[in-house]
Amino acid sequence: MTDRKALIIKLHGSCYRIIRQMKKEFRLLFTDKFNMLIAIVVPPLVILLFGFMMNGIPDEIQPIDCVVISYDSNVYIDESTLNESVRDDFTLPYVNAANESDYLNMVHFYNATEEIYAMETARMMLLSSEIKVIISLPVAFSEFIKLGLPGLIDCVPDASDIKTIQDTLNSVFDSVKIFVNENNLTPQFELTGFEEFTIPEGYSFRFNYNITLTLSFIVFGVSMVLTILVIVQEKPVARLLLTPTKRSEILISKYLTYTIILILQIILLIISCLICRLYLAGSLLDLFIALFIIGFTGLSMGIFISTQSKTKTEANQLFFAVFIVILLLSGIFIPIDAMPIYLQIIAYILPLSHGDPMIRGIITKGKSVFGFDFFALLILSFVLVLISFIIFKRRKYEV
Amino acid sequence: MTVEESTEIMVDVNDLNVIFDEKQIVYNVSFKVKKGEIIGLFGISGAGKTTIIRVLTCQIEKKNWNGNVFVTNLSPSKKRNHPLILQNIGYVPQLELLNLYYELSPMMNIEVFSSTYGLDKKEARKIAQELFKILDIPSDIWNKRVKHMSGGEKKRLSMAIGLIHKPSVLFLDEPTTGVDASKRYSILSYLKKLNQKLDTTMFIITHDLEAALICDKTAILREGRMLEFDSPQNLVDSLPSKGLVARFEISDLNETKIKRIKEFPPVKKVLRVGNEVVEVLMESFEENLPQLIQYMIERGIVINSMSRDLASFRRFFQIRIQEEEEKEALLLKEGESQF
Repeated sequence: MTDRKALIIKLHGSCYRIIRQMKKEFRLLFTDKFNMLIAIVVPPLVILLFGFMMNGIPDEIQPIDCVVISYDSNVYIDESTLNESVRDDFTLPYVNAANESDYLNMVHFYNATEEIYAMETARMMLLSSEIKVIISLPVAFSEFIKLGLPGLIDCVPDASDIKTIQDTLNSVFDSVKIFVNENNLTPQFELTGFEEFTIPEGYSFRFNYNITLTLSFIVFGVSMVLTILVIVQEKPVARLLLTPTKRSEILISKYLTYTIILILQIILLIISCLICRLYLAGSLLDLFIALFIIGFTGLSMGIFISTQSKTKTEANQLFFAVFIVILLLSGIFIPIDAMPIYLQIIAYILPLSHGDPMIRGIITKGKSVFGFDFFALLILSFVLVLISFIIFKRRKYEV
Repeated sequence: MTVEESTEIMVDVNDLNVIFDEKQIVYNVSFKVKKGEIIGLFGISGAGKTTIIRVLTCQIEKKNWNGNVFVTNLSPSKKRNHPLILQNIGYVPQLELLNLYYELSPMMNIEVFSSTYGLDKKEARKIAQELFKILDIPSDIWNKRVKHMSGGEKKRLSMAIGLIHKPSVLFLDEPTTGVDASKRYSILSYLKKLNQKLDTTMFIITHDLEAALICDKTAILREGRMLEFDSPQNLVDSLPSKGLVARFEISDLNETKIKRIKEFPPVKKVLRVGNEVVEVLMESFEENLPQLIQYMIERGIVINSMSRDLASFRRFFQIRIQEEEEKEALLLKEGESQF
């Protein structure tokens, strides 16, 4: 028998064993209803739920409740000339601007000259979450503007939720913008969006902008959860190694099985997204490839944890620890650029920091999938696959 | 062809030594096993039984052992031989959990393992049906989940999986452990039945000395050393008077009385087997028994009852292990006195 013929027979045997091992994997998966629920049913359901939730909220801006307090009518003494002044001719224009702004809902206006406990009352409202921000016009507001100096506006936002501070400040800024525009003050502000990022009418703005993070999170998380126990909980693996089956064949069959499940999961996710009126600026194929590489990274990380762990408890604990770190450094909570440099390096090695920008780029900007984030995930998954093979190959199994 | 007639050597072990982290586990073990033989590896925990089997089943790296070992004429020392050896052997682990997918049916389990040997589904099902019939696995559970099967059925399914590819040698790790007494005999009889029908060489690692009943040869191991390797009958025959035993029930039996009995010159072994019962082995049993009784009466040893019996393999094992322990204790004593 020639070497070539022997190799073909060997390869044929390997392929046969891998296919039969895959069949076993599918059977095991189908017998575990909970696993199937997690793999196939839950992800599209989450997207549908998310879609209905986001589509249920109108795209119109939700104005932020505020109170405006003006100290402008109080007596102002110019320190250099000692002249007294009681100008307040810019108070009403600002109050009008705040009223006109779509971003603000002025719950109350207090003239602090007449109501001396205005600030205390407003603070109580802020504490009881009746309002989100107190806007206060200082004593010399009108005088300063008249003199061509900046008319300062004090802003006290509800800081209990750090994520809403920026929204609050943006809303206040909108009122300032209207105020300066209407009163011909300088500088003038005008904000215009990029036409190419605009979502056409009939599509949900909120769903489109929030789905990017949700998609990468679901695909990555589910793939990882599904695979963290695939090796550690399969007790007969040690016995299988006492047959001509090679370790690599066992691992390949697992990778292939869960890759097929991943593809099915992604197709269902994309269908769910389209049902929920996702506006996709890029191509469906790009979105599919992007989701696939994110999911495959999760899958390889899950299998890596499974090969590394000795018990199910160890695998679960390791998964929890790894997932928390990935989540914390993904940029969801703190922008990656705001992190210390060493954490930025770690964050860019971790997969979720690449998932959201890549999907956002495809969905909202119509970018191609093949960018830095894609290749970073590709390298990461390749390294994880390689390490899992090495660990599994070297691992001691005794029957 | 009977076992005696067979000359084909299935397992050949010469001077096997196993060392882990500078600690020797197995010392100079040698034995040969012919085709169709059932070999029992007996010994208390730590005797090295499992380690020897792990060498034979390619589970221990060559760096940890030395010696000439051949399984189905292939040496496990060469890595390239491993797939071939694994193709020729079967293994039944002690715990079914390590051998069976509980969520799958017996037939699906058969398919999983048979495919690893390259058997196609149809062929595997045919062999499985034959094995299931021999092992009395009812057909109504062939396609139900393994987790619903009884302990005995799981054990038998495990054996069927071990034999699905018709291996030349089958290794069974503690096949009767965890099985109640009544089922133990039936498992042993199933093994004998399989051995006779399939002519498979079997290695049984066990603590259960009853397993010797079906063994053609037995190996007794202690602390990594092979003390004996022969048929159970030959081993029993090697005892004084070919294993004839006198059993005495003695009032107020104590160490002094046992010592007295031992002092009777033809007596070779006195074993305390109960609170007031001893078994005595001696040279020229028939001639010396009346004299022993006379000797005991003269020394005030009150015999309540007496019977004669033939020693079992269990008794031989007990005697042999006791001998080793006594030898060891003597060596220790000598060593201490020299020091």
